[in-house]
Amino acid sequence: MVPESIRIMFQKTGRLRYISHLDLCRTMQPAMIRARIPLWYTEGFNPHPKMVFAQPLPLFVTSKCEFLDIKIVEDVSCEEIKRRLREAFTDELYVTDVYKPTDKFTEIAYAEYEISGIAVTAQDVKGLLSGSIEVKKRTKSGAEKVIDIRPQVRSVTLRPDGVIECVLSASGSEYLNPDIFAKALAASVGIEEPDCDITRIKWYKADGNVFK
Amino acid sequence: MELSRILKKVLKPGRYTGGEYGQIIKDKTKMAARFAFCFPDSYEIGMSNLGMRILYHAINLMPDVYCERVFSPLPDMEAQMRENKLPLFALETLDPVKEFDFMGITLQYELCYTNVLSMLELAEIPLYARDRDESFPIIVGGGPCAYNAEPLADFFDVFSIGEGEEALPEMIRLYIDMKKSGSYSKEKFLRELSHIEGFYVPSLYEVSYNSDGTVKAYAPKYPDVPSVVRKRIIKDMDKAPFPDKFVMPYIETVHDRITEEVYRGCIRGCRFCQAGMIYRPIREKSPDVVNSQVKCIYENTGYDEVSLLSLSISDYTRLSELTEKLLTWTDGEKVNLSLPSLRADTFSKELMDRISSVRQSGLTFAPEAGTPRLRDAINKNVTEEEILRACSLAFGGGKTNVKLYFIMGLPTETYEDIDGISAMGSAVVNEFYKNPNRVKGRHPQVTLSCACFIPKPFTAFQWDAQDSLEALNEKQQYLRGKISDKRVKYNYHGVKSSRIEAALARGDRRLSAVLYEARKLGMEFDAWDEHFSYEKWEQAFKNAGIDMGFYANRAMGLDEVLPWDIIDIGVTKEFLKREYKKSRESLSTPNCREKCAGCGANRMGGVTPWCPKA
Repeated sequence: MVPESIRIMFQKTGRLRYISHLDLCRTMQPAMIRARIPLWYTEGFNPHPKMVFAQPLPLFVTSKCEFLDIKIVEDVSCEEIKRRLREAFTDELYVTDVYKPTDKFTEIAYAEYEISGIAVTAQDVKGLLSGSIEVKKRTKSGAEKVIDIRPQVRSVTLRPDGVIECVLSASGSEYLNPDIFAKALAASVGIEEPDCDITRIKWYKADGNVFK
Repeated sequence: MELSRILKKVLKPGRYTGGEYGQIIKDKTKMAARFAFCFPDSYEIGMSNLGMRILYHAINLMPDVYCERVFSPLPDMEAQMRENKLPLFALETLDPVKEFDFMGITLQYELCYTNVLSMLELAEIPLYARDRDESFPIIVGGGPCAYNAEPLADFFDVFSIGEGEEALPEMIRLYIDMKKSGSYSKEKFLRELSHIEGFYVPSLYEVSYNSDGTVKAYAPKYPDVPSVVRKRIIKDMDKAPFPDKFVMPYIETVHDRITEEVYRGCIRGCRFCQAGMIYRPIREKSPDVVNSQVKCIYENTGYDEVSLLSLSISDYTRLSELTEKLLTWTDGEKVNLSLPSLRADTFSKELMDRISSVRQSGLTFAPEAGTPRLRDAINKNVTEEEILRACSLAFGGGKTNVKLYFIMGLPTETYEDIDGISAMGSAVVNEFYKNPNRVKGRHPQVTLSCACFIPKPFTAFQWDAQDSLEALNEKQQYLRGKISDKRVKYNYHGVKSSRIEAALARGDRRLSAVLYEARKLGMEFDAWDEHFSYEKWEQAFKNAGIDMGFYANRAMGLDEVLPWDIIDIGVTKEFLKREYKKSRESLSTPNCREKCAGCGANRMGGVTPWCPKA
């Protein structure tokens, strides 16, 4: 069988927020083996299964919507893959859907997050968005420089329950780490070290349609 | 929640969260007893320990008992926990350890003793057993160091001596039964427990000392308390509980692979080796059982490497049958086989071809001593020819790296024996060039790795003094001066931590005071070079008014009462004395398979291939 691409959509919640992207990648291979997923292996000197994540999830951030692409070499239905993976993971790594992908990861333009635990008013949000949002960033050489992240913030909405919904740039070069945004938002109301929860909710393409 | 805030401030928070795949989940409200299995070192080290995996499984087989895991938090996490008054918690439920019925602490090496005390302290449990009332968990110790855990005697309620798969569930069952019948009190429970084979309750013995500081006697305080505690063993390894799945760490640990035990015990009887004595008699698993256990764990973990554990894998009587069985499926599933603890005399080309780890990395052998004379004295029973042949096989098979382990400061050692170590290094280098099948255009790399001799209880060398720091240093420098060949690399183990290990290994109850002082000085993670401080240990001994040399550097008398005489490991003191005397004449003893040396372990019973019936 010609290797076939399969997309796995999953949630990463609870205690898994403390597990880094690198560690998640590392534990994915044994999980696929115990789930008996007929993975396609690369044919190089050191064969390894092909697995591609849409984007790493920052440490301490949870997600309702992560994507992992694999290639399989035997005919197993998406429904069956979903069933097997749910068994091979804990509930905190919960597979919500398995399907043959049409959208490409390179089409991802924005990601939506929910931030809770930072007390702000609608006025605060409006104020933040009215001008530039300057944050300090450490460059690779170690020097600090100030950059404006406002262009990467597409929208911010304060829900009645106090949760902040925001849509931030997520395309390769324009990617904005939600943690940086949360810190900037907190700093604008005088909070230094915000103890907040951030959850990735969904992704969008450049045309505004939901990425799937 | 406090914990979630703290976890954002520490390195590798995945060490403290639990929630891994394979973790056992039970309804804690429906349990008759809860057991906190504590490993007094980091998560990464503890999660790689097979003993912990086995006992976690064995205890959790009890439907009304919940066993959870606890590890030492690293100093950054510990500081956060202290600052935020978060007591030590177990990974499954995140509940404080002090709420459990049992806190079981595994004692794998002497240098973890300070971590034991820091865990108790972090759990908000008084260190001294006498200061703990009924509201605190029963503190039980086990593992190899429990065979002489006297330095910890004041802190523990009971020690489980020997193999715990059956003993620990029996202990917990007794506790539950006594609680249910209303007859429970800690005192009554411990007294009752002392009647069960394999349980040593230190508070039930009065220890007296001679005027020269040596032990005079261990006297049971009550007539029903046994005068000697015999260790427990699993009689039939094929029927011993073994996990069908592992807890799968999210973060990288020391060994992320399947570890499968092939047999317990050792036929060799090296005179410095404690493991070779305390795990006797030898008991093997059958190849079918090993194969099906490995396969089952593979299916439930997805690990792609299998490590076959034993004290000397090439001594397993049915090794080729086993590897054949494994290879029928492991190759196809891209699973690698690795065999640690290879002996030079039984290493073969066939074996090398079967183990994939050999294809990837270098090989390690342990001649332990540099001359045939000293190898006879320590009963290593390996000849130089065998070592060279094994290295040659490795070179012919495409290896260029070989590592040789030695012990320096062994009883009866002379400078001639140390010369022998460097001579062997050169001989192995020459062996490389003599081999026509060697990798052309490359030079060999021979590593000589030297540990310091540490006299351990229950060995033929238990009476021997450790060399002084100065003598060991001198020997190390002497050997370093002898090696000028770039193809020979020499590394050696720190003499100072070896001295502490020796003092604790042969310690008696009075060392509890030293450990208490060590905790007051904030010491922990002594097994880690970056945390070990000899100066602080000296201070702790001084504060307790105890001479380290009395324990580390004193030759004990053959007729002296030893602190660990209270424990019966099967192997008799008489046998060890015979072995001690033979060592002074540089006489070796045949291995169990060649001829029974009458060590006494056959009295333990069990399915043992070579032991005569007792």
